[in-house]
Amino acid sequence: MKGIFHHLGSFLHEPKVERAIDSLPIKTNALGYDPWGFGPRESKLYYSLAYRLYQYFRPEIHGIENVPAGRVLIVPNHSGQLPLDGLVIAVACLLGAEPPRLVRAMVERWFPTLPVINQAFARSGAVLGDPINCRNLLAAENAILVFPEGAKGSGKTWDRRYKLERFGRGFMRLALQAGAPIVPVAVIGGEESIISIYNVEPLAKALNTPYFPISPLLPLLGPAAYLPLPVKFHVYFGEPMRFDGPFDDEDHVIEEKVQIVKSRVQEMVDEGLARRESVF
Amino acid sequence: MTVTLITGIAGGLARLVGAEQARRGHEVVGVDYRPLPAPLDYPAQVYQANYNKTRIEDVFRKHRPELVLHLGRVGNLKERMGKRFDLNVIGSGKIMELALKYRAKRVLVLSTFHIYGAHPHNHTPIYEDEPLRAGAAFPQIADAIQLDNMATMWVWRHPEVQTVVLRPCNVVGPTIKNAMSRFLRQSTAPVMIGFDPMVQFIHERDMVAAILAAANGEAVGVFNVAGRSPIPWREALALAGVRQLPVPATLAFAYLGLSRLVSDALPPYLVNFQKYPCVIADEKIREAFDWEPWVSEVETIRSTVQA
Repeated sequence: MKGIFHHLGSFLHEPKVERAIDSLPIKTNALGYDPWGFGPRESKLYYSLAYRLYQYFRPEIHGIENVPAGRVLIVPNHSGQLPLDGLVIAVACLLGAEPPRLVRAMVERWFPTLPVINQAFARSGAVLGDPINCRNLLAAENAILVFPEGAKGSGKTWDRRYKLERFGRGFMRLALQAGAPIVPVAVIGGEESIISIYNVEPLAKALNTPYFPISPLLPLLGPAAYLPLPVKFHVYFGEPMRFDGPFDDEDHVIEEKVQIVKSRVQEMVDEGLARRESVF
Repeated sequence: MTVTLITGIAGGLARLVGAEQARRGHEVVGVDYRPLPAPLDYPAQVYQANYNKTRIEDVFRKHRPELVLHLGRVGNLKERMGKRFDLNVIGSGKIMELALKYRAKRVLVLSTFHIYGAHPHNHTPIYEDEPLRAGAAFPQIADAIQLDNMATMWVWRHPEVQTVVLRPCNVVGPTIKNAMSRFLRQSTAPVMIGFDPMVQFIHERDMVAAILAAANGEAVGVFNVAGRSPIPWREALALAGVRQLPVPATLAFAYLGLSRLVSDALPPYLVNFQKYPCVIADEKIREAFDWEPWVSEVETIRSTVQA
């Protein structure tokens, strides 16, 4: 197993990724891990692999200079059935931000139960989406990637594309508590990468997955219909937004602030769509 | 000179704690329901008695300990559930009552981090006031949870005796013979395909120091005890020189369920600790008792298997 890992590593080896990971100011122990399981050694392999996928989507990144150093919450729209939008943002922040940022993605409660995936996520810096994880990582000046739409966002069907689902309030409370800015992000292209026209809820429930998408290409391509199409991604990082007030305020007070962020992301998504000339 | 009663004296950790307490010039009284595997190499009075039987009161009456270190929690699932309940729940209750009756100044109860449970929804780290999830999936651990709950309530219910509850991570070391140490000493061990959670180990020497720091301090309450820093489970096995045999988790559960009939290498509830993290925070004990672990992650594992 270690041998396979080694060969795969040399095959995928991406010097840009390695240099960026080496420059990260993350505190690791004598064996090279942080308490959540991030390991620079293995993350180089996973990020090199992610970089190949990133290139597949030929993303155009706008406003990456808006990602500051220090604690920050990166808040995008969510789409595409698989977290490919998260992957594109993570690679963009690692290779494009100044200084390079390792985003700590807050993942759905489903992911830690998935063999192999849980390991790849943890070694690459992703953590369970949980307030205590988020609070501790913000205190250590990390960049947090959070999708406030949750699985409802990524599991959107075609008729709901680019319409933001309800935003959770947790991210705002954490931003207020940590005094962290919020960088709104719009990802264009995700909705077309893996298309879902229907969510088979009973099947999702039986398989213990957040949703079970039906692709319109299923009759034509079979299971290959679930492979992402080579659409072009456009990612817009907006200017950091800052909020004041007590983090434990009443829900309706927090909700007003959440709506400001949601409206900003929706606005950026609409602008990005208007600017897009072709899906591919 | 303090008269110190130590339960579980037949176990590796209690034996070491007794040695250190004797070296510091205190009178050591040891109790265990098991016979001593080898005589102690330091002055101590040792009694074989079940913690839930009347004989234990004779020990209290005779020695009137000022310090009670209840290190004798039975974690070994080889013991039947009924017996574990008698020793861990009824027995611990009795020891705490006797400590009160015979006016012990301070009681330390050794619990375990296993009661938090390894769970996919665990954040990192876990603090002392968080829910104990282990019981939901594995009722076999109910006795350990009840023992911990009882001791925790005792902290506030009986302020006349200072009570400290310690919840250590995996205690390993050359003289420890618990499930984890034995697991690390195997030549081959199953690992769960696609899972490699972060795991914490504490060296016996650091654990002895933590127990004595807490025993001799003033603070009361519940304290996690972790080692230096968490490491991936498979790195730990690699350091221990264990050949890893990847198996699907479902198969491991079935195998361990069956193997309990013949061996006690690893209790089935510990399989989840090979899949999901259960990383505990121990800033509280470091601050309250000015203690910190010294033995490195690598040395902790290596010294356990070189024994």
